[in-house]
Amino acid sequence: MSFINYSSREINCKIVYYGPGLCGKTTNLQFIYRKTSPQQKGKLISLATETERTLFFDFLPLALGDIKGFKVRFHLYTVPGQVFYAASRKLILKGVDGVVFVADSQIERTDANIESLEDLKINLADQGYELDRLPYTIQYNKRDLPNIVPVAELDRLLNPTKVPWFECVATQGMGVFETLKNIGKQVLKELKKHY
Amino acid sequence: MVVICPKCRTRLKVQDDKISPGGSRFRCPKCSSVFLVKRPPEKATEINRNLVMVAHADASVAETAEKLLRAEGYDVVTVRDGIEAMVTALNRLPFVALIDVGLPKIYGFEVCRRLKGRPETEDIGIILVPSIHDETRYRRPPSTLYGADDYVERHEMEESLVAKVNRLKREKWSAGPPVQEQETPAAGPTTTPAAAAGPSHDEGVERARRFVRTVLSDLYIYNPQMVNDSVMAGNFREAFKTQLSEGFKLYQIRIPQEVRDKGDFFNEEIDEFIERKKRELEG
Repeated sequence: MSFINYSSREINCKIVYYGPGLCGKTTNLQFIYRKTSPQQKGKLISLATETERTLFFDFLPLALGDIKGFKVRFHLYTVPGQVFYAASRKLILKGVDGVVFVADSQIERTDANIESLEDLKINLADQGYELDRLPYTIQYNKRDLPNIVPVAELDRLLNPTKVPWFECVATQGMGVFETLKNIGKQVLKELKKHY
Repeated sequence: MVVICPKCRTRLKVQDDKISPGGSRFRCPKCSSVFLVKRPPEKATEINRNLVMVAHADASVAETAEKLLRAEGYDVVTVRDGIEAMVTALNRLPFVALIDVGLPKIYGFEVCRRLKGRPETEDIGIILVPSIHDETRYRRPPSTLYGADDYVERHEMEESLVAKVNRLKREKWSAGPPVQEQETPAAGPTTTPAAAAGPSHDEGVERARRFVRTVLSDLYIYNPQMVNDSVMAGNFREAFKTQLSEGFKLYQIRIPQEVRDKGDFFNEEIDEFIERKKRELEG
């Protein structure tokens, strides 16, 4: 659920990077943060505890343009990936405007990918959302590793509704901004319906 | 019994008394293809030294393998997903199973691990068909074969599959002549009865097991050293008491009661994980 800041004439929306533990959500956000100019971004906030990590920062992409004179500010969040932090993930999904599901392409993590996607659907449903009705992009990360599942197979498993997907090597930045741009555009398109 | 249409994979209920002893042909109400349904063979009690199971989701790969193996005189049973593969392997005990690593429903590497972990199926020779993203860059190293005996890449099947099957037969089953299957090979497409799928291979149970495996996989990737040390010291459950208890709470929320009533999958998977890790570390 986006909110409007009339004093700064900005529409704020929330994009959550979701996925199993150590799939590369944080790496995505850190790369975006590094590559965004200081004028465009806020502070990178880490809500890390001893065992779980959540990152957050907001930024103002200049290339996306305005909606009726209002600029769009994206707030990017990651969730703690380990399966037992379901409660934290549910909380972070509150008010979400778009989701990026980061899948770990390694064959050993296929169970974890499927489980995380199930978890996403359940947690969204608990907040009254449906994944099929939200701006949603999938990222197949870690494509540089040797033990990976072919994209066609991942797509068959994780993407039955054929939403946009991107291959990615987040550690090198490959596919990171392509994914962000795609989800950003989807969120913007959705916003334009309402404003 | 329940059968699966070989073309569109629709599950169909067929009354047992409508199947004649030699098998009966049925028309799929969804895709109209005609296929032969045979009564499930009696559960095998010993390894069939002439039967090969081909488990691959891609029909063209399965067909290629089947053609090559039949030309060599082997009987072949083909299945398309991990659940069918487990059921068929347990009921028919092929001497070799060719298994796609990326099988749907239960991954091939998981099928392999399970077959190698059961006394009645541990002697089945397993050849994995690995996932390859790019033939020149992403070859799966044979050192991570999950206990399989060999592997064959799909593009090299014509040259090497038969040789690999023959080699396994020689190495594992050289004593005594091959034993032919009792049933006559079917003409035309046949289908595997799914009704034989016992309660431990239904999708609810798979979901429950997958959940626990994910908890354990998470524990390992975040704390590999602690997992290894505690497994070797025999105090894994104690070392990860808090996380396992959190995982169990969520397991009770996420896995329906009727599935949980079928077995203690939570603890079974933990025991299996500890055993597997121990073998890896000791080996």
